[in-house]
Amino acid sequence: MTTKERPGDASLKGLTDPVSAVEDKWHLLPAFLQVKGLVKQHLDSYNYFVDQELQQIVRANQRISSDVDPNFYLKYLGIRLGMPERSDPLAVDKSYTPHECRLRDLTYSANIYVDIEYVRGRQIVIRRGVPIGRMPVMLRSSHCVLTGRSEAELARMQECPLDPGGYFIVNGTEKVILIQEQLSKNRIIVEKDGKGIIQASVTSSTHERKSKTYVLVKHDKIYLRHNSVTEDIPVVIALKAMGITSDQEIALLVCGTEKEFLEKFAPSLEEASRLKVFTQKQALEYIGGRVKQTRRFAAARRLPSDEALEILASVVLAHLSVEQLNFRPKCMYIAVMVRRVIATISDERLLDDRDFVGNKRLELAGQLLSLLFEDLFKKFNSDLKLNIDKVLKKPSRTQEFDVYTQLQMHGDHITGGFVRAIATGNWVLKRFKMERAGITHVLSRLSYISALGMMTRITSQFEKTRKVSGPRALQPSQWGMLCPSDTPEGEACGLVKNLALMTHITTDVEEGSIRRLAFVLGVEDINLLSGSELYSPSAYIVFLNGEILGVTRTPGRFVANFRRVRRAGRISPFISIYTNTHHHNVHIASDGGRICRPLIIVDHRRPRVTVEHVKMLSEGKMVFDDFLQQGLVEYLDVNEENDSNIALYEKDIVPETTHLEIEPFTILGAVAGLIPYPHHNQSPRNTYQCAMGKQAIGAIAYNQLNRIDTLLYLLVYPQQPMVKTKTIELIKYDKARTLLLQRYYLPAGQNATVAVMSYSGYDIEDALVLNKSSLDRGFGRCQVMRKQTALIRRYANGTFDRVADPPRDANGDIPFKFQKLDADGVAAVGDRVFPGQVYINKQSPTNTNADIGVGQNPLETGFKATPMTYKGLEPSYVDKVIFTNTESEQALVKLLFRQTRRPELGDKFSSRHGQKGVCGIIVQQEDMPFSLQGISPDIIMNPHGFPSRMTVGKMIELLAGKAGVLKGELQYGTAFGGSKVEDMSRILIDNGFEYSGKDYLSSGITGEPLSAYIFFGPIYYQKLKHMVMDKVHARARGPRALLTRQPTEGRSRDGGLRLGEMERDCLIGHGASRLLLERLMVSSDAFEVHVCESCGLLGYGGWCQRCRSSAHMAPMKIPYAAKLLFQELQSMNIVPRLILEDY
Amino acid sequence: MDIEGAGPEIAIRHLDKDRVNFVLSNADLSVANALRRAMISEVPTIAIDIVQFEENTTVLADEFLAHRLGLIPLYSANVEQFKYTTECVCTEYCSACSVVLTLEAKCTREGETVMVTSRDLQSHDPKVSPVMSDEFDRGIMIVKLHKGQEIKLTCIARKGLGQMHAKWSPVSAVGFEYDPHNRLRHLEYWIEEDAKKEWPLSRNADFEEPPRDDEPFDYNAEPNKFYYDVETVGSIRPEDVVSMALDVLQEKLKVTEAALQEGQTMLTGGMPGEPTNDGWNQPVDAMNAAGW
Repeated sequence: MTTKERPGDASLKGLTDPVSAVEDKWHLLPAFLQVKGLVKQHLDSYNYFVDQELQQIVRANQRISSDVDPNFYLKYLGIRLGMPERSDPLAVDKSYTPHECRLRDLTYSANIYVDIEYVRGRQIVIRRGVPIGRMPVMLRSSHCVLTGRSEAELARMQECPLDPGGYFIVNGTEKVILIQEQLSKNRIIVEKDGKGIIQASVTSSTHERKSKTYVLVKHDKIYLRHNSVTEDIPVVIALKAMGITSDQEIALLVCGTEKEFLEKFAPSLEEASRLKVFTQKQALEYIGGRVKQTRRFAAARRLPSDEALEILASVVLAHLSVEQLNFRPKCMYIAVMVRRVIATISDERLLDDRDFVGNKRLELAGQLLSLLFEDLFKKFNSDLKLNIDKVLKKPSRTQEFDVYTQLQMHGDHITGGFVRAIATGNWVLKRFKMERAGITHVLSRLSYISALGMMTRITSQFEKTRKVSGPRALQPSQWGMLCPSDTPEGEACGLVKNLALMTHITTDVEEGSIRRLAFVLGVEDINLLSGSELYSPSAYIVFLNGEILGVTRTPGRFVANFRRVRRAGRISPFISIYTNTHHHNVHIASDGGRICRPLIIVDHRRPRVTVEHVKMLSEGKMVFDDFLQQGLVEYLDVNEENDSNIALYEKDIVPETTHLEIEPFTILGAVAGLIPYPHHNQSPRNTYQCAMGKQAIGAIAYNQLNRIDTLLYLLVYPQQPMVKTKTIELIKYDKARTLLLQRYYLPAGQNATVAVMSYSGYDIEDALVLNKSSLDRGFGRCQVMRKQTALIRRYANGTFDRVADPPRDANGDIPFKFQKLDADGVAAVGDRVFPGQVYINKQSPTNTNADIGVGQNPLETGFKATPMTYKGLEPSYVDKVIFTNTESEQALVKLLFRQTRRPELGDKFSSRHGQKGVCGIIVQQEDMPFSLQGISPDIIMNPHGFPSRMTVGKMIELLAGKAGVLKGELQYGTAFGGSKVEDMSRILIDNGFEYSGKDYLSSGITGEPLSAYIFFGPIYYQKLKHMVMDKVHARARGPRALLTRQPTEGRSRDGGLRLGEMERDCLIGHGASRLLLERLMVSSDAFEVHVCESCGLLGYGGWCQRCRSSAHMAPMKIPYAAKLLFQELQSMNIVPRLILEDY
Repeated sequence: MDIEGAGPEIAIRHLDKDRVNFVLSNADLSVANALRRAMISEVPTIAIDIVQFEENTTVLADEFLAHRLGLIPLYSANVEQFKYTTECVCTEYCSACSVVLTLEAKCTREGETVMVTSRDLQSHDPKVSPVMSDEFDRGIMIVKLHKGQEIKLTCIARKGLGQMHAKWSPVSAVGFEYDPHNRLRHLEYWIEEDAKKEWPLSRNADFEEPPRDDEPFDYNAEPNKFYYDVETVGSIRPEDVVSMALDVLQEKLKVTEAALQEGQTMLTGGMPGEPTNDGWNQPVDAMNAAGW
């Protein structure tokens, strides 16, 4: 174990060091991440979409013909995506970088080119490389300019080498398409619904159609339910309609030769005869009469039976294709569903768990874009066709008709469709009537970790409001696939998850070859079998992606052989195969979206990865893919994992073991991987840290100072933690290997010397005491950058905005308000801008709508000042100004403000153990307690934070950190490993310290020793983004809302502090009526009205308009809101009358 | 406090360029601790306080650089000759209250990285310059320049106290201890079994007789010997830090004494004299002041 815990990069480890057993197998992890990276799933999925799916979609929608001219056709021969290019047609150098897009608010996209063949006049013309639109390019995908570039080249492009990519840049904002979690498609799931009805359901999904089919039990009879029929169809009738008319054959298909099944199924058979349905024709008519009427009036009236046949063939269980009315496979499938239902009635343990991760599929950017593209492409084609028809309809044309010109007119549809979908996150698919919102999110750049965390995030389609615990609970099958710690608190708890470190998500693999392989390995074709063979005790039904292939009588050998082929690298490593002994099934899966992870293969009690392999890996002679190719390591998905026996450590290997874990700490994700000693903490603390790690201020990327983000927080002196974890090294991995000793990090925090003790009373409720000298020296100091933009527009009538130079007063002096402006009308870089000062002196034309007249100078229309004024309580410095233009040729001015802040009272800090606290007091160094060496703490933390939180990991972090400081090396707090407490204590003792990390401290005030020993040492602290400066708010008087005349709401509008309902209740309880009156009316919206005592209505100025008199007017004070109410009531023909009495 | 025989005594155990280790005896704990506190926060030094930027095209922001410059220790042996800015008659700064340092650096060559260090700071007063350990010391790194980057600025260094900002503190740490054997039982050991085994003794324990096991606890005993370990940042020689701190204490006593006497006369009316030597009400240019 010891070598494993020692720090070390593979390449740094001395070759003479003994390689103890396969303990060093964790070296596979960096190797894995080097190949895969943390966002590989996004990139893989996008690449697959661009390289494969695009072609498939075009092939499926290949031909456009005209309704007018039968000779005309247009055929797509091929499609490809170009490299990212600027859309500006005049540009000489069309290449551009993602960073330019970020700065200029552009969309990072590439042209989609098609090759077409079409009829022009009497000729057939072939044109290649015709652009039909632009598609956003995923950063670091195969089509991104950043892929495969060296660090120096990336630096030239102002790009950070540690940036993971996997997101899009749309209109200058970075957008992530989050991973979507769904129930797997095309699989039978047996479950119990709310009423206790057992049903088997299948969600069929093909390119054309999505539909859900159920087989369920009602009154002991079995029915088929589908959206396209109005009522449940007895399953026997459905089978009869599909051509299996003999009851005996149906019984055989469903029950085989088993009596128990037959008994349960008999009522269903009886019902069919009761309903007098015996033949296929009768069955089809029965179903045809119950088909839902669609609004498709265009379709000619067909016979109900034809309609039924059509529905059975292509809508019910749409994923099973029916070729030439051969319904047999579909019948078998339904029979299997029925059998599953019957089996479940007698044994409820056979119910499926829909929360089981194996029943889940993850939808990635590529799949979502593919859906979107197919929709856009279809719309594009139908628009094109309409246009072609319109042109061809005309009897005479001046020019020969060339579709090419038409094709280019429609480019905006696809371009705009993509941009709109990604920018808003609304996926609107007409085909499936799907409308999903919130698919994309702005990439959070609060810290490097928050960006990484976002790339591994998984959202669920579940409604957040539903109070069900199942989908939210931690599933045992999540082990190693999804991080057990990283989930938000509150409403999305358990629904939003994160990938673990070694997770991979599959993409689709073509089925044809797998099907052939299965038959070669001895699967008997389903079409040749009868029910008795299907369910014979030795037979296992073989499924491929949920479709029945056939039967094997030797499942063990079949599966073993199949795996052998896979391990030999003859088929994709991501194809999974597993046996389900309960159902007597063998499932082969090659569909996309399955979660899987690599494991070391073990046979004959010996792991295939040996010391030699690891050695070659660390020498760089082998890479991860070699391990895969040589069959030493393989990917298992959740289902296959369930069929394997995986040992956690080598010592746990028993004869039944099939696999060995690569490294236990990979069950955690990237964000939870930051926590040192997480296995010593109470679990919710780790979850809290996962949420807080994303709010920590630190370094964001190497290009952080070149970025102009809306809000950017940077730490002035970020440090790498004294106690790190392997994950910390790995997620910033990549480059460390090539540059050997020079390590780059993007940390978010500082190693604070912490004394765990009580000091003053300002540390209660988790408040922290900070050392003023530490703050003077730069502890917790941060920079806040804020962006301001101004668009210098051009208007349709020829007028335009302008930026004016600072105006001067009568003496020729520039007034304070405009003092920071340069001659160009924008504040100068480096200047300090105070509240109320103008930083962009923009002026807009007074008239932007009406015609200004031909030949008139647009400058003569007159301008009104629309300056941008600095708001905020503290001054800022101008860090950067850029002048540029957008895609639409509008001038754009961006200005970056910078503030440097030192921690103050109320700023929030947290350690890496979910222990947050605000600064309660800042103490002079000489008043701080100090150790024998004269060391005083940076932070004093109250010990009451420990007992209830049980964050033992934090204590061990302190211990290991202290030992590390004394020994001059970094320590490791990796999960399920890390530096041992015993070793740490040894180091402390060797250096003359107490073994448990306690120190002798003296009071800084009296000089006397503190009567107890104090737990004292370094703990990594994060400064969180919540700072008092952004939140302070107070108001005595201020703006009021226009309509109600009540004080405005919120800090940004300088709003009032609300005396809410509960506070009101309090005052009522006290009977403080005058105070109530003052708070709710006088200090809010008191208004003097004149009430007519005779009619009870409001008058004005001592005059009652209704009574036409001023005789009985009485002035009184009411809330303006009440006056408003009276008037609104009057407008609704309700007369509110005030009856006044002496009081 | 009544001192028997001779007054307080200081025995220096070790002294070098930036460190003094001494033993103070025949003094009260309160005095000893006051000395420690005075060394940290009340011995004046000179440090860069205002930075005027002319050119800064480096990667670091102005405030960032100003903070870094502020923390550079400057030789302050003649700090007594300077006035506090608040006491000086000048409007902004003058040679009586401040020292001007300039920094100018530029990188012109491709592929080269210019390291700007405290050695590049040019002081207008040869006696007040950045601290260097020896002639081979390359100075404290301020910023690195890439091709085309330039820095040009003027620093105004002023006299100040550690309690205003840590940059004016002459010491980095002051070790302080008495009664290493815990004879006085000022602290209670937390032990599992045996304090002697579990708690390491400090090195100062060798200078005192270890208590015999059967020695009775003398509850009247007072601490008498105090072990100091003063480490400076280099601005003032360590022995000077100690004597200046003692001067500060004496000055304070004098002021207090005068105030007390005046207070006695004041019983009939009048105001006590304002203490003069305090610089902590100085107005500070909040953002641009180095290091604030």
